[in-house]
Amino acid sequence: MNCKKAGVFISASVDGELSLIEEQEFLLHLSECKECSLEFEEAKRTKMIIREKIIKFKAPQALISSIMQLTSFSTKEHEDTLLYE
Amino acid sequence: MDKPDPTHHTKNREKKESLSREERQKQLEFQHEAVVHLNTLYNYALHLTMNPSDAEDLVQETYLKAYRFFNSFERGTNCKAWLFKILKNNYINRFRKNSKEPGKVDYDLIKDFYHSIKDTRTDTSETDTDYFHSLLHEEVYQALHSLPEEFREVIQLCDIEGFTYEEIANMVESPIGTVRSRLYRGRKLLREQLEGYAKKYGFNTDNI
Ligand SMILES: [Zn+2]
Repeated sequence: MNCKKAGVFISASVDGELSLIEEQEFLLHLSECKECSLEFEEAKRTKMIIREKIIKFKAPQALISSIMQLTSFSTKEHEDTLLYE
Repeated sequence: MDKPDPTHHTKNREKKESLSREERQKQLEFQHEAVVHLNTLYNYALHLTMNPSDAEDLVQETYLKAYRFFNSFERGTNCKAWLFKILKNNYINRFRKNSKEPGKVDYDLIKDFYHSIKDTRTDTSETDTDYFHSLLHEEVYQALHSLPEEFREVIQLCDIEGFTYEEIANMVESPIGTVRSRLYRGRKLLREQLEGYAKKYGFNTDNI
């Protein structure tokens, strides 16, 4: 494996998305290449940073209520239809 | 407690009960499987539309459709991924195909929100390579949003939402290999942006 191919593997390995064979091939390259090893550590860190720093916005209360109503409404509507048939 | 009904009512009553029980069960299952993802769906919609009211509409529409087609949801598969896909399709239909003008992109609103966070650059008595820890929320957010959409999308789905490559491939309707390479290229671009911030604040990034 060359460093160029290892680049794509670094990214996929961080996500645990390499096949067993690919992972072995990749680890072999890491054991021989200091640059890619450093790169791998940085990639793990980058992923962590994104997870930590990107804020997850919460749904407003009004939206939560209307989604909750959405499911109970169908039953009510259903019941009403049945009651008046 | 119900009194025993006259016999001639029993048939109707049974019909009503069995139907609404079925509906009630669907409702319960829907809440367990689908409604639990409301926050994360809203967050994704907000990142797509950058406008809170469009995001609300989109989520609303998504749940309506999801409830209507809940029977076609393959039990045991990832419901969150299924919902995200519906939302994404709604988004495309609403804002791209039907040429409906989206609400004004409220980039400032979200930027201001990030800005309002009491963000402090951590003191780095550690080594220079730890500059990542000193990045501000706002900087990471801006770096992510400076990426072309096809890259930003996969990073968001993978790193923030935690989907597998297979699930992402299904959502963006591209082969897994494409997802893999988009993530690789997107992250490379993102790193360049982040290193730019780091350099600006005098961190040494030469040996990275
Ligand atoms: Zn290498």
